[in-house]
Amino acid sequence: MIAPTTRKDLMIVNMGPHHPSMHGVLRLIVTLDGEDVIDCEPILGYLHRGMEKIAENRTIIQYLPYVTRWDYLATMFTEAITVNGPERLGNIQVPKRASYIRVIMLELSRIASHLLWLGPFMADIGAQTPFFYILRERELIYDLFEAATGMRMMHNYFRIGGVAADLPHGWIDKCLDFCDYFLTGVDEYQKLITRNPIFLERVEGVGIIGSEEALNWGLSGPMLRASGIKWDLRKVDRYECYDELDWEIQWQKEGDSLARYLVRISSRRNSRGPYENLEIRRFNRIKDTEWNDFEYRFISKKPSPSFELSKQELYVRVEAPKGELGIFLIGDQSVFPWRWKIRPPGFINLQILPQLVKRMKLADIMTILGSIDIIMGEVDR
Amino acid sequence: MDNQFIFKYSWEILPKKWVKKMERSEHGNRSDTNTDYPFQLLCFLKLHTYTRVQVSIDICGVDYPSRKRRFEVVYNLLSTRYNSRIRVQTSADEVTRISPVVSPFPSAGRWEREVWDMFGVSSINHPDLRRISTDYGFEGHPLRKDLPLSGYVEVRYDDPEKRVVSEPIEMTQEFRYFDFASPWEQRSDG
Repeated sequence: MIAPTTRKDLMIVNMGPHHPSMHGVLRLIVTLDGEDVIDCEPILGYLHRGMEKIAENRTIIQYLPYVTRWDYLATMFTEAITVNGPERLGNIQVPKRASYIRVIMLELSRIASHLLWLGPFMADIGAQTPFFYILRERELIYDLFEAATGMRMMHNYFRIGGVAADLPHGWIDKCLDFCDYFLTGVDEYQKLITRNPIFLERVEGVGIIGSEEALNWGLSGPMLRASGIKWDLRKVDRYECYDELDWEIQWQKEGDSLARYLVRISSRRNSRGPYENLEIRRFNRIKDTEWNDFEYRFISKKPSPSFELSKQELYVRVEAPKGELGIFLIGDQSVFPWRWKIRPPGFINLQILPQLVKRMKLADIMTILGSIDIIMGEVDR
Repeated sequence: MDNQFIFKYSWEILPKKWVKKMERSEHGNRSDTNTDYPFQLLCFLKLHTYTRVQVSIDICGVDYPSRKRRFEVVYNLLSTRYNSRIRVQTSADEVTRISPVVSPFPSAGRWEREVWDMFGVSSINHPDLRRISTDYGFEGHPLRKDLPLSGYVEVRYDDPEKRVVSEPIEMTQEFRYFDFASPWEQRSDG
């Protein structure tokens, strides 16, 4: 039976800047024909704070508190990249101990970010329970961070040449306990979510990105790895001391939201591996002279507070949990950088949204938006 | 670190009118080109078998007010096939329009909008050139060096009018610049 087609106009709906889930302030202007989406236009800029212009007027040490506000869930990565840039410019070598501490913090931050991606993603789809579970684990990570750095979320911990302070006594044991506990947590999520038929209905086959398309659109991180391309900057660039650790890239082939979910969950399980190795190695200290020299005792090389950036340009990058986070830095032989361009992964990953939601239903927009994993703090800067 | 292969190869192959100067440094390789040619150069880099630069990581603008062509547009590119990165730079001034590279690299759409919004360097035939990060009625291009850090207008909620209004900025304290040469030295005028 043919329904009478009285509707000739398309409906334009504004999914306004504020969202009930933790995406941040993103405005989506969606053009609908009934429940089918014809077009979707994201409008950004609601959280633009002028981070790049501020960077041109601050020294690096003054700028460090700002950088955690770009991606406020994976804060160690933004700090890591802020200090990596000037370190490369000045050819400063980081002591081994500091490098290990950095890797541990980065991996903990990666776990924390993926956890807080999972909660709102499930809440968007309709499952409220995982939201509380992730907060339980994230609180444990916050406790670890607070013990080491003094702040739960916006730690001002990394410095040029190393880290700000050494880990307190007994931190490592707590961290290893967390690793063991977390493994049971991940198993719980797997049992609850991964083969849940409702979840699979919502998520399988939604928002498929082919591998060529993923490369063309400049995607990076879990989105690229879910489309079948094994590209992980930790393996490719071999920065910090990742090549001493033993782990594998997680990837999937299909490129739909389910694949992205699987990549993130398994990369969480995977992150634990490296730093368990790391900690056991570092802290099984034998009374050996090697362990008593510079590399293993000091946690940073202290540059002067007015560290001058030489007149060169540099692009540093790091594998943030959302993708490839990069800084294009142009120094100017003064304490302030001349140009500090932030390359946020969320900005680029969000570009593919209008492409993916065409021909989908209205409810799928939130699934796709959730699986892209954006944080408006870094998209808008 | 970076693979030097595509750099050396493209230097040999490319016609000299496309590439003005190529420079290699330990921090990344760059090539300078003229305003008319970034599209051709990037198409070549993307499609040619031995360079296969498929990912445009970043398009960035830089302002050097002391130069005649004050803006420089930097394209950061990545080839996942050969694991190498290359930077292509063009210079432009306030009225030059550069060609958009949206067709080979769809991700460039937003970057070029941002370069337009922040610097004022526009593209010819860009599919969608509008402001992206600044406020709806903002005038000016923020990342130019002549716009001060605090801007010219401030916004506040105006109760009689029941909406947010923009007014010229009013600062009760002069902007303090902390760029001491050493932390134990103060600026002479306080």
